[in-house]
Amino acid sequence: MNPLKKYLFNERNGNGHALGPIQEIDVPMRRFGEEEVDYVVIGVGSAGGVLLQRLARAGFRVLGLEAGPFWNTERDWVSDEAGSHNLYWEQLRITGGTHPLALGANNSGRGVGGGSVHWAAFTPRLHPSDFRIHSEDGVGIDWPMTYEELKPYYEQLELEMPVAGPAYYPWGDPHGYAYGPHPMGGAGDVLIQGCTKLGIGVSIGGPVAILSGSHGDRQHCIYRGFCIQACKVGAKASTLITHVPDALRSGAEIRDDSMVSRIHVNKENRVTGVSYFDVHGQEHFQRAKAVIVSGYAIETPRLLLNSACPGHENGLANSSDTVGRYLMAQAGNVVLGRFHDLVRIYKAPPAHALTEEFYETDSKRDFARGFAIQTVGPLPIAFAKQMMTAKGAWGWGLRRIMMDYNHWAAIALLGEILPWPENRVQLAEAKDRFGIPVAKVTFGLHDNDEKLIEFGKNKVIEVMGAAGAEEVVQETRFAHLVGAARMGTDPRTSVVDKYGRTHDVANLFVCDGSILPTQGSANPGLTIQALAARTGDYLIAQGESIFNTNHRDMMQPAIRRDLAPPGTYGRGVPRLANLTS
Amino acid sequence: MKGRTSVQPGYYPGFSTLGQQANWDEATRATVLKRVARSLELHFFTPEEAPLIEAIFEHILPQIDRDEKYRIPIVPVVDERLHTNRLDGYRYENMPPDQEAYRLGMQAIEEIARGKDGRGFLELTPLEQDKLLRTLHDGKPEGAHHIWERMPVHRFWMLMVQDAAEAYYAHPYAWDEIGFGGPAYPRAYMRLERGEAEPWEVEEQRYEWEAPEDSVSDIYELISGHDLHQATPGQGGTH
Repeated sequence: MNPLKKYLFNERNGNGHALGPIQEIDVPMRRFGEEEVDYVVIGVGSAGGVLLQRLARAGFRVLGLEAGPFWNTERDWVSDEAGSHNLYWEQLRITGGTHPLALGANNSGRGVGGGSVHWAAFTPRLHPSDFRIHSEDGVGIDWPMTYEELKPYYEQLELEMPVAGPAYYPWGDPHGYAYGPHPMGGAGDVLIQGCTKLGIGVSIGGPVAILSGSHGDRQHCIYRGFCIQACKVGAKASTLITHVPDALRSGAEIRDDSMVSRIHVNKENRVTGVSYFDVHGQEHFQRAKAVIVSGYAIETPRLLLNSACPGHENGLANSSDTVGRYLMAQAGNVVLGRFHDLVRIYKAPPAHALTEEFYETDSKRDFARGFAIQTVGPLPIAFAKQMMTAKGAWGWGLRRIMMDYNHWAAIALLGEILPWPENRVQLAEAKDRFGIPVAKVTFGLHDNDEKLIEFGKNKVIEVMGAAGAEEVVQETRFAHLVGAARMGTDPRTSVVDKYGRTHDVANLFVCDGSILPTQGSANPGLTIQALAARTGDYLIAQGESIFNTNHRDMMQPAIRRDLAPPGTYGRGVPRLANLTS
Repeated sequence: MKGRTSVQPGYYPGFSTLGQQANWDEATRATVLKRVARSLELHFFTPEEAPLIEAIFEHILPQIDRDEKYRIPIVPVVDERLHTNRLDGYRYENMPPDQEAYRLGMQAIEEIARGKDGRGFLELTPLEQDKLLRTLHDGKPEGAHHIWERMPVHRFWMLMVQDAAEAYYAHPYAWDEIGFGGPAYPRAYMRLERGEAEPWEVEEQRYEWEAPEDSVSDIYELISGHDLHQATPGQGGTH
């Protein structure tokens, strides 16, 4: 029996497949079967969703292999914390080092849409300085590209998601958003009050990839507060609803529940295809003319390391010994303040106001780089765990403080941690259910990181106090993951070039958060999608030469706005239409 | 409270999230109702282990102030997680698998109890039980060091508190207790600011809440004094 489902949507839901209360897909999906495709994209998340859409629209035969399920949002998603575990990559990973990272719910997605299904959807851009921190501050490494190269893609993806935010955003490269900002919730009010009292500028109502007004077949936000549990409303952007529908309409195929175990390379050092396990545990080989790995900062290096073979003994595309190294998380200390009056923090999206006033290096401080301060919105279980660590609460004490849940507000640090070679992903001895070795993650902080966190944490505490909190506590934690297959110009110190092509294998690409050489203090989602659209344009411009030659053409492609999903143009606030270059 | 129990502790008398279920979507309603009607059968913990783990969780997240009928199952939820091997997405390199951690932890707690005067944990008074568990919270267990060498005591402690919190605060009775509005799709929230209640929510009515006298867990301190980097529990995401 061919385990590949022929018509995924019809099989699962006779009346079409819900991607929100209004949006639906009812087209049978194209099926390539075992025939060779042009591109296999491994992982259909933030980057993979955009890549599939671009490549399919340009006419390539493209197949996405996704380890998790293809969601039917009405059936599979719930407004419930404990009921949302299946959104996260919760399979075994080993974590260690001096500051072990918690993995899973707050940083790893699974299923079509990947992390963009459960992100809070803050979408700040990186600042121009982020692309050259080694030149400017002598730390980290410079990007192999400038902000100006990525800027058109920031503008483009802000329209495709689209992003709601203020008409004027003052930090980094000042810009504005074509969609209006959101109203405030309790955490936003606290951030505004605290910042205003201290004379700190604050951005209200965005930038977030959440609809402030209805848009095509997606409805506007209803402020229910369950963003991180996946947006059943369809207001928060995920590639599942912004790019995947157009990818399928354009002839892409997505095979869900398909866990890639190995990438194959032939004697000519060309990728020939991938092995993957289907939902029944049966192994398949899929031939492809080129492969793009979009598995994010842990699964991408894990797959490359697990694909070691003659000629690539230390892991595929790892002649630099950089695969898995320079893994980064951002400092994410959550500061919680108790207020005399009720806050009811569970309403409104967790992400709705922020400040980047402390983003850049300041010579008056004793560390390089900086941080942002953002709203967060812990629901009861997350809040209880925060109180366990922030206050040591347990037993009756935990019950007591939880009865005060509605009096507490939370805002958080988002601080830049620099890339370090010993912060890395390796293979553990333990194996997953398919027998594939799992990832072992090692993480630790350095002097600059610790000074930055100490200063940043105290600044957030100061803001919380200025907002009028009676009691202020904080929980040390980390947010997001990037790095571990970084891009660069030097093949001796990086895995891929600035278009995501591995230095070692000409028809193997990496495109996801793992290629970021440094991370700034911006949530990575927008940058990842912008990079994916740019890599898409590069691949499309290169055409067949990717499949036939080892020639590496570094010419910058022209941006292909015409390949965006329909409905991207002519929307938003008209006076900002000219902002896109 | 002092010995009296109630249907609904907390400052929101009469507030019922379950009473709002007609306004929830079908999938969410099914998930929450299944939780309320869950089976109390155990599959991971043996009948011999059950009384001990029940007694431990009665202190980690006590609820003797609740009417028997309105207590929230914790051990069955932990049991199911361990039985089905549902992970939070990671395991510390210095921790055994969760299943083994629980077995080791129970063994250690029993050993510490017996090490004092031969009584097992179940034979201690509630106050003695509370005090013993507090030594784990404080990272200063009085015994079973051969086990804590294999498993850092603070990691085991956090594992238990997290599991308890995840079970208790996932339950609609707990939402009623703390005034959390619960599921809100497709209805939406419309009063976002100043902590205002929706028309169907209940205003807070505070009273002097007291923990039972035979306990020590109402007063606690930040865990400190050993190599504890806080940034480690399996937090649900906040960002």
